[in-house]
Amino acid sequence: MANLMPKRRLENIGLGITGFCVALVALVVVTLIFMVAQQGLTTFFVDGLNPIDFFFGQNWIPEQERYGALPMIVGSFAVTLLSTAFALPIAIGSAIFVVEVAPSFGRRIFQPFIELLVGIPSVVYGVLGLYVINSLIKAIFGDAAPTGAGILSGSLVLAIMILPTITTLSMDALRAVPNQYREGSYALGCTRWQTTWHVVLKSALPSLMTAVILGMTRAFGETLAVQMVIGGVERSMPMGLLDPASTLTAALTAGLSNAVSGSVYYHALWSLGLILLAMSLIFILIIHLIGRKGAKANG
Amino acid sequence: MSKFDLSRRQFIGAFGATAALAGLAACNSSEPAAEGTEGEGTDTAALVGSISCSGATSFQPLVEKARDAFQDANPDVSVAISGGGSGQGLSQVAEGSVQIGRSDVFAEEKLEADQLEGLVDNQVCIVGMGPIVNADVDVDDITTEQLKGIFLGEITDWADLGGTAGTIQVIQREAGSGTRATFEAAVLGGEVAPDSFRPVAEVDSSGTVVEQVAATAGSISYVAFNYMENDGIKALTVDGIEPTQENVESGDFTIWAYEHMYTREDEDESTAAVTKAFIEFMLSDDFAATVVEEGFIPMGDMKVKKDAEGNVTAA
Amino acid sequence: MASEKNGRSVALDAHVRRIDSQDKVATGVLTVIVGLVMLLVVAIIAYILVRGAGRALTPGFLTNPYNDEAVPGILYQLWDSFYMLLVTLIISVPISLGAAIFLVEYAPDNWVTSAAKTAIETLSSLPSIVVGMFGSLFFVVTLGWGISILAGACALTMFNIPILVRTIQQALEDVPRSQRDAALAMGLTRWETTINVLLPAAMPAIVTGIVLSAGRVFGEAAALIFTAGSAPARLNFASVNFLSPTNPFNIFRPACSLAVYIWRLTSEPTAGSTEIVWGTATVLLACVLLFNVLARLLGKLLSRRLTAE
Repeated sequence: MANLMPKRRLENIGLGITGFCVALVALVVVTLIFMVAQQGLTTFFVDGLNPIDFFFGQNWIPEQERYGALPMIVGSFAVTLLSTAFALPIAIGSAIFVVEVAPSFGRRIFQPFIELLVGIPSVVYGVLGLYVINSLIKAIFGDAAPTGAGILSGSLVLAIMILPTITTLSMDALRAVPNQYREGSYALGCTRWQTTWHVVLKSALPSLMTAVILGMTRAFGETLAVQMVIGGVERSMPMGLLDPASTLTAALTAGLSNAVSGSVYYHALWSLGLILLAMSLIFILIIHLIGRKGAKANG
Repeated sequence: MSKFDLSRRQFIGAFGATAALAGLAACNSSEPAAEGTEGEGTDTAALVGSISCSGATSFQPLVEKARDAFQDANPDVSVAISGGGSGQGLSQVAEGSVQIGRSDVFAEEKLEADQLEGLVDNQVCIVGMGPIVNADVDVDDITTEQLKGIFLGEITDWADLGGTAGTIQVIQREAGSGTRATFEAAVLGGEVAPDSFRPVAEVDSSGTVVEQVAATAGSISYVAFNYMENDGIKALTVDGIEPTQENVESGDFTIWAYEHMYTREDEDESTAAVTKAFIEFMLSDDFAATVVEEGFIPMGDMKVKKDAEGNVTAA
Repeated sequence: MASEKNGRSVALDAHVRRIDSQDKVATGVLTVIVGLVMLLVVAIIAYILVRGAGRALTPGFLTNPYNDEAVPGILYQLWDSFYMLLVTLIISVPISLGAAIFLVEYAPDNWVTSAAKTAIETLSSLPSIVVGMFGSLFFVVTLGWGISILAGACALTMFNIPILVRTIQQALEDVPRSQRDAALAMGLTRWETTINVLLPAAMPAIVTGIVLSAGRVFGEAAALIFTAGSAPARLNFASVNFLSPTNPFNIFRPACSLAVYIWRLTSEPTAGSTEIVWGTATVLLACVLLFNVLARLLGKLLSRRLTAE
């Protein structure tokens, strides 16, 4: 008995220390959500901005006290969807190639290559976008894109950035498909492409969708690389892909240094942060829903 | 004793475990901390202490030059300079987390009345600014009225100004920029551009303005004088008046503003002496040459002055 | 009858030919896509090196302060990057280790655990600027740390924790069940088992994970602009006053990392800054790649030593 006591105490200490770590992390997250919500909602409850004017207002002109977030909301969604559209076929295509066609090449050569892309910091992508992609767009479109900055260049930079995310996750998804499925399909006389298209892709679909959503999460929240190439015009709605625009993240980066804490402008910026926070929670929710549905489908 | 105490805390902070975090929060609530000057004898005795200065980036290089010279003369003093923009500088000095808040607009334009209480406005120099265009634009002079028309979106083609026909590409500074506030106050006279007006870019610094104007055919923007000597851009005369230091001093050239370093009346004794000495150094005759070198205009030579509402009177 | 059979086989032949060519075309397209992706990677790396290697290798670039007249360098930014990384790891590794052990060993299967998991998942998907603005209010103002290395490191910790927790969790779960069972059967508590058996066995994977996460933290900028500042600090390596803003070790001074410096120079360019931007980008890239290589080497080395014993 006397011998058991220290053991139990040791166990409790262990539980205490590790439990404290988890609690600390959870506490920080709760604090973050609370603070962003508190500051972001001040705009509506204390400063008295009408939420409808905020979410659907088409003009963000702080010096006139007009805070319509629609230009940035549209900008964020435009670059996210467009970059996903650019990256998706390439990512899935490469994943199919390295899993179904050339597995050993995939593991030894392609994977390290793709991991190189993951490792490049986002400011470096921003620099590349600013000096290379913007100049290219300017050269191609001439007067239609006087500075080259705009939604298109933002989407191109983001597409390169989310390519490795979607590719590696898709590779994992395809590898997770049991080999019996393939063998069964081949035994029926199907070609590799038929097997891939009708069997492998179909059974990996939920995981592939998760991969795409995670890529979109990254695109939606990416900050500096986009801010450096998109042109930063928040004043009114972008009218085309070559139009300089802004995203929620870019508007925050540019605005936070000019806003005085406690002012309506400052709170309006936090409301933009709140939208970002809400969107990332929604993305998580979608991933969970896909996971649950996939689990149900597989019995 | 307080000195020992503080450095021990700092030591824990640098090498200690994460468990110390919560404690540090309490200990360092007065951060950026100042080392005690032991009260007396700041006249001839060496200054001791450290202060922080944050805010506008437009004249940060000038303040950094001043800091270097000031620290060389007073080895026991340190001045931590960080950026953040006018808004950050003003709110931080208002809440007392820095000793000096740099701003390129009057605090009245950014802060609420209750935040203004106890703030001291130290105008340390003047910045003149003017319109610049891409070097290929064949217009050299512009009237204030025309400038206003361009930035309100009413004039959109260089042909209307007597140049070769071509779209005028307006490059704006970010909303909230002090340079933009100064320019619009002097040029637009309270009018605002219609919602439909879209500049071709809104950029967040003068350096970027220069880069973009040089790279974009038919573009126009505005920068401080010290950015005008660059390849690929051209400064315009406004109503025939050259953007020079002399013309600002005489009051002929009207687009200019003060650079402010706000301090607090009720600043802690341990740092007040250092803060005061640093501001005095910025305004001293010895430093005036550096001010001019960096493209700013010393306070001493001005023959006119502006108040927070933008009214200009003889000095 | 014969013609019908013949017709069927012709149709089958056509079908087989069609799916065969479909297969070939698909494989061809996929090959081209993969080729293009690899070309893109090579082009990106090569372009950065071509633009920046010259500057990065210029003598003095790595060892001069930013305000050097002849060769403006990145010494202070390099120092700040590594120092901030160190502080971040000192804070985040113990917390992540504790949290991962809890989730693997102790976590009861109830709402508390799933809430904790959701919290960590939320943290991993937060946009960096949101973490930055939270830090600029909570660490800088509420806790009163000011714009400082500590505030920056705490913001970075918030990124690092989800990555670290996940890798450590994975590493602990990968330890063979038999080792754990043997230890528990010998009468060791779960805590003793974790400390004496699981952690040593999982160490190679944990170290690899930490170094890999360090690479990611090293390149982060958006969360630092409003927490650690963006103005290049002036450092005095001879300083012994830990309170001075010029003391390199002072964690309450503002700092500017390599990544933030790049952002700062591109958003506030000065004459000649483009060169410095590419040079710094090259150095940053080299550092990140170095972390990746280091992670692999350390993992291999440790696992060899541990299995040899």
